[in-house]
Amino acid sequence: MRRRRLAAVVGIAALVALVAAGCTGDGADPEPTPVAGGAAVLPGPVPADLALRPAPTDLPAAPKVTGTLTDGSPLATAELWADRPVVLTFFSSWCNTCVERQDGLSELARSHRDRVVFVGVAGEDEPDALQEYLRQHRVEYPVLVDADQRVARAYAVREPPAVVLVAKGGTLLRGWPGGVDAATLDSMLRKLVLAP
Amino acid sequence: MRRLRYRHLLTALPLLLLAPLAGCGDDEEPRAAMTVRVLVRDINIRPEGVECAGTGPYTYFHNRAAYRVVDGDGATLAEGELPAGKSVRTFEEDLEVPRIPTFCEFAVPVSVAERDAYRLIVDDRRPIPLTRDDSEGPALVAVVPS
Repeated sequence: MRRRRLAAVVGIAALVALVAAGCTGDGADPEPTPVAGGAAVLPGPVPADLALRPAPTDLPAAPKVTGTLTDGSPLATAELWADRPVVLTFFSSWCNTCVERQDGLSELARSHRDRVVFVGVAGEDEPDALQEYLRQHRVEYPVLVDADQRVARAYAVREPPAVVLVAKGGTLLRGWPGGVDAATLDSMLRKLVLAP
Repeated sequence: MRRLRYRHLLTALPLLLLAPLAGCGDDEEPRAAMTVRVLVRDINIRPEGVECAGTGPYTYFHNRAAYRVVDGDGATLAEGELPAGKSVRTFEEDLEVPRIPTFCEFAVPVSVAERDAYRLIVDDRRPIPLTRDDSEGPALVAVVPS
């Protein structure tokens, strides 16, 4: 009789423990999804074999801008182009031309990862729509949230899409108002910044 | 006594049945299909005939921006999301370059009831008066800035 009562107590205790474990979520909750376009996708170290063409000396300097990434982290563009070229891509999730070209640009950014840094600049957008866009098009580079269009104005960008290429050291090499497709941008990267 | 109560119910029954129909009647107000056309005169350099969004003070004019067409009393007649705009040249002279000064025009098909006045509200901004213009098919048009 006593043994049966003990078994019942142990059973209840085990049940309570199981419920408690479920409540605390130890090991049960999935890892939170990182915010796309945040600090987690900032570039790694510059590859030792990165060879660059010298930047022309007769071109203007790119405007140095600071801003906030999608996860709230600060970013200063000049820190990025201190040691490698930078591509700024101005876009919005509602921009059809941006959508058409984004998969190609995302792939191009992956192919040049750590050698050329891509930075998205999202203006006039909603956070949820922006996150959906970044995930859907596998944007794996940092994205500045340019809610007040400050970055866009610094580069005289009036509407998306637009792309700007900055050399290592901050020389403004080229801009494409209206954007550019990945194949053209790739050939320009090889022509203007990447040494063969 | 009970029979009297049922008689009251029977009297009220037609009214109860008609009440939802009266509600349907409001929805069946005659509507006319027309196009809301808004010309955003932002004078931006673009190729002609490409997708565009408003620039400068009109960046809230863009693809998927929320809009409402309201009457003079502010009642909503139609609502939805704007399509992308299309760039139109600001003047006819051929500049012989691919990118020229353009405006951004939005054309939104709507179905609205007849009213004396119509206004367009985009992104909950200030209402823009719309003018009836049937010169190229039924349309409500506006130019910003007017």
